[in-house]
Amino acid sequence: MDKLIDDEMLVAQFQAGRQNAFDELMKRYKSKIFSYLLRSVRNYEDAEDITIEVFFKAYRALENWQPKAKFSTWLYKIASNLAIDYHRAKARNPVYALDDAEIPEKHLVATDMHSDPVKQLEEKERGLIIREAVDQLSPKQKAVFMLSRYEGLQLKEVAETLDMAEGTVKIHLHRAVKRLQTLLRPLWENNDI
Amino acid sequence: MPKCKKSEGQAIDYAYKLLPSAEELPFKEHLKSCKDCTEAVESYTAALELTDEAQEELVVPEHALRDIEMNVYKRLAASQEQTTWLSRLSAYFTSVGSPFGWYKTAAVSSVAIALIVAAVLISKPPQPEQTLQVTEMQSAEARIEAYREQGIQWNLEEALITHHLRNDAWETESQLNRMKEQAQGTSWTKVADKQLQNLQSGILNRTQQNRIGEN
Repeated sequence: MDKLIDDEMLVAQFQAGRQNAFDELMKRYKSKIFSYLLRSVRNYEDAEDITIEVFFKAYRALENWQPKAKFSTWLYKIASNLAIDYHRAKARNPVYALDDAEIPEKHLVATDMHSDPVKQLEEKERGLIIREAVDQLSPKQKAVFMLSRYEGLQLKEVAETLDMAEGTVKIHLHRAVKRLQTLLRPLWENNDI
Repeated sequence: MPKCKKSEGQAIDYAYKLLPSAEELPFKEHLKSCKDCTEAVESYTAALELTDEAQEELVVPEHALRDIEMNVYKRLAASQEQTTWLSRLSAYFTSVGSPFGWYKTAAVSSVAIALIVAAVLISKPPQPEQTLQVTEMQSAEARIEAYREQGIQWNLEEALITHHLRNDAWETESQLNRMKEQAQGTSWTKVADKQLQNLQSGILNRTQQNRIGEN
């Protein structure tokens, strides 16, 4: 399918009965949505399940979707809501504790046999501390931070995605950055980095 | 020493590269003479760089994305069955509910539920109505089949790569067996059988050649 066809056009095609258009939309966004959810929930299987749920919900709602915002913003909105629900459920039920070891990491995928295992372990531990710091943000702070920092959304788009005023997004973002600075300060103050 | 009165938000925005261009230059000038703000910007930047680095390490392997489409359609197909049942129930209650008050509706509904449960227990479930949703369900099923076939082909390709590039007969055989299992009920089982035969004869020939060489 022509890559130049924009998302909204594909949605229109889907609404006109062309099922392949939805396949193309999934192909375009499955990696982005999966990555976003993996960063957010930090559990490989849960991220996969929620990604499937995002497209399932999108498929069901797309028939009546009106292009008030970009399709991608709408898709992130579904993903964010599901991620927030996930974190709330996790907070209510600690059984859903995350296991960071399940997450595939670049340096684990491409393990260099000659590199120093102690250094590797230290790096892994540092990565874990940092990701745990991000986990300590409130669900909304985390969603704002993830969407603006890693998904490349403008603050206006983040606001649309999370149904917030742009000013509220900025407040959440400032709080997130301040919290991260407080939590991660020991890493550079102790010369651990 | 009194803290700088400049907004802390400006330091965060500057580190985050969100500061409007009109404010950026004056703030840069301010940084030259303000130790507090310089330290704040440096620490926010360090925190952001650390999180960027840790997030970059998270990767979604290509194989994890393969089954997403198929699983979405499976989920849709499963939900369509539920939806059809629910919509039938809802339509039924609506039709009997309108001429009565809510309490009579509740009584009729209870009797209706009991009758429906009994009907389900003693007879086959009714066929879904020919509606748009059913068309979607058929389409979802057709897509599940298409994605399954795609998955089978991927597994075959992987088995062939294992065989030809890694020369690992044992792993190739187990991959082909997995592919055959996945392909049950399709013509792909024949392809798997043929590949397994070729693999076996290849192993046999090599063993015979090795024996001849040893003699």
